[in-house]
Amino acid sequence: MGEGSELIDKIRAKARELLQGGRVDCFIGYEEGSRGRARPAFIYDPQDAERLIWDERCAHNLVTYLHQFKSPLRRGEEPPRVGILVKPCDSRSLNILFREEQIERERVYVVGVTCDGVRTNGRPQERCRRCAERVPLVYDIVMGGVPNVLGRDDYADVTKLEQMSPRERLAFWTKEFDRCIRCYACRQACPACYCFECVAEQLDPAWMGIAIDLPQKQFFHAMRAYHLAGRCSGCSACEEACPMGIPLSLLNRKVAREVEALFGYKAGQDAETPPPLATFKKEEQLPM
Amino acid sequence: MQVTTREHLTAWLDGLAGHLTLIAPKTVEQRVLYRPVADSSEIAFDFARTDLPVKEHFLPPTHVLLSIEKGKEGVRLGEPSPERERVVFGLRPCDARALRVLDALFLKEPADPYYAERREKTTLVGLACREMGETCFCTSLGLAPDEAGDVDVMLTEMEEGGGEGERGRGREGGRRYAVQVMTEKGAAILGVLNLEKVEGTLPVPPAGSKTPVLEAGAWPRLFDHAYWARLADRCLSCRLCTYVCPTCRCFDVRDYEVPCEGASSGGASNGSAPGGRIERLRAWDSCMAEGYRRIAGGHNPRLTKGDRLRNRLYCKFCYYPQDYGPVACVGCGRCIAMCPVNVDVVEVLADVATL
Amino acid sequence: MTTDYEPRIVGFLCRWCSYPGADLAGTSRLTYPPALRTIRVPCSGRVDPLFVLKAFQEGADGVMVLGCHPGDCHYMEGNYHARRRYALMHRLLEYVGIEKERLLVAWVSAAEGRRFAQVTTEFTTQVQELGPWGGMEGRGGEGENGGGK
Repeated sequence: MGEGSELIDKIRAKARELLQGGRVDCFIGYEEGSRGRARPAFIYDPQDAERLIWDERCAHNLVTYLHQFKSPLRRGEEPPRVGILVKPCDSRSLNILFREEQIERERVYVVGVTCDGVRTNGRPQERCRRCAERVPLVYDIVMGGVPNVLGRDDYADVTKLEQMSPRERLAFWTKEFDRCIRCYACRQACPACYCFECVAEQLDPAWMGIAIDLPQKQFFHAMRAYHLAGRCSGCSACEEACPMGIPLSLLNRKVAREVEALFGYKAGQDAETPPPLATFKKEEQLPM
Repeated sequence: MQVTTREHLTAWLDGLAGHLTLIAPKTVEQRVLYRPVADSSEIAFDFARTDLPVKEHFLPPTHVLLSIEKGKEGVRLGEPSPERERVVFGLRPCDARALRVLDALFLKEPADPYYAERREKTTLVGLACREMGETCFCTSLGLAPDEAGDVDVMLTEMEEGGGEGERGRGREGGRRYAVQVMTEKGAAILGVLNLEKVEGTLPVPPAGSKTPVLEAGAWPRLFDHAYWARLADRCLSCRLCTYVCPTCRCFDVRDYEVPCEGASSGGASNGSAPGGRIERLRAWDSCMAEGYRRIAGGHNPRLTKGDRLRNRLYCKFCYYPQDYGPVACVGCGRCIAMCPVNVDVVEVLADVATL
Repeated sequence: MTTDYEPRIVGFLCRWCSYPGADLAGTSRLTYPPALRTIRVPCSGRVDPLFVLKAFQEGADGVMVLGCHPGDCHYMEGNYHARRRYALMHRLLEYVGIEKERLLVAWVSAAEGRRFAQVTTEFTTQVQELGPWGGMEGRGGEGENGGGK
């Protein structure tokens, strides 16, 4: 996608320029990892901009790293300014964080890049097939070619689950959550999960306790899905991070679909529209 | 050399499953995990490495240490019921070595009774590796993919009957395994397994890489290096690596009130009323969690991800060997395969050797 | 699924409307099944869906969230937020395997003692017919994730 190595050169040049000019203290992008993988890169020095890459292996949602740049790098300084490379899905997460005032727009320089989809081990990710946005929704500069592909989420897998009986659905999630080890990779990879103390780890009161057993796991995943209502960008970072292959997007997209049906709201389209669960319409009639 | 066939093995395993708990690799929704199986048909014989290590059967993710009941007669402490006899089948040498690493801590006086009981009541039947996995590096830690010294019985699939490719159904049963009895416990469990004496030698194990592993005493001087913070920039601070690791073992212990059993009991859900019960749970915890080392008063000596990642690596390669003997890593490579952001311990070891 | 059991219902009642409504039912000596355990909260808007899930975890077979009628909230807006939250929560609960009929969100004013008794009676009957909410299997056995007693 894009113009291959020409695009990579453009990205590197931009990062170098931002760092040299002092516009940002750190540029977050992707670099070559080990064993043929790509991984998040943190460039502090303009000459390290050479490490940056861009290709279909760059699947991670880098917006989650903005949370670690909210505090000054050194005591007495201002919080750092950060440059970040975002795909369209990541840009939705960015809008959500701007809307929730988690990070100031002026402190982030957004290099958007158009995207035809990413792959894991050569296999196209499911979420890319469903993605309707191929150009980032927020950026200071956008790079890359005109995207070729446009996807659509028909929620077929969500509908299939909805059509089961409650018992069948319970059996389905029991089977999936059985493998969960409460490693919280899903939560940590998610840009929208940034609570200082997650309810899952709160000890007083112990909502979920420390037990890694089915009731607590069901509780955790249901609560996380609810806490993401109107805030989940559909980036699937959670599902990709899960070591046990639990289909978390099946849960989060259900909630997203209900939010859209009930409140006419899609997360991440802009940074201005108030979140649906923070507002209401007095006259609305909602099926209870 | 003694050999047996797949057919004989499955018959033997079926017999075992009849009178004790048989734990074996099992396919669970595209993952392979060590799970109790009812019979040999549930076993995944051809697998590279399970996604979770066998430690979950010796240090369970959650278990009850004791229970406290308050009744009319006063307070009564309840202990968990004794463990059943178990056989773990298909144990890879790295996971078996990991148990020895855990033994150095959990069986050291005073021994952890829960771990000790499970260890004592479990017979380990190993399965040597025919190939090195993409992320495997056991050989860098002085281990071998056919190391038999940590199990009670070691099985090695023979060249001519083996291989991971497609095979006709009828030939499955004919696949042959060399059988090495390593301990008396192993000899006892073999029982009626049909063995045949043949001439020949064990297959040559696959060759492995040799990443330099810095010895324990060389790590302290690197403690303040800027490398750790940079490495940890991309770390998500989840717990994935520690949970999939066969030698990571940190835990938390907390007491919880158990809701009244059964909807028809009609009693109060309040644990302090008669009939209430409190359970003391032990569950996996992780040094990678931000709050793991936070102490009363709010101080957190490992506040940053760099501190925590450095600590995890030091614990494995410096502190544990200094305190207990073995290096707390067996080169299974699960953390490498599963870390979402490619924190690669082999790459780190190579980097550290040059720092 | 047995229907011969004593259901346990947890009700979150708001301090200004539904709780006095329940109180009125009591002083009027109206009868309703004794399955309900009430928890008074300042406002239905205080009821975090976390509480609802926790109630199910702790053994509730049904949960009620009762608040003031929309427009009458003592804190002006609390029940509007609750309305949105629970419209969503119903669907999520249903999706993860907890029948949506196990959660009731209704508006009961301080003057509606009779309505409170009626709502509670109908809901209790409904939950009775659904059977106990056994929940997901708890700890125990080597079976599922290696956890053992």
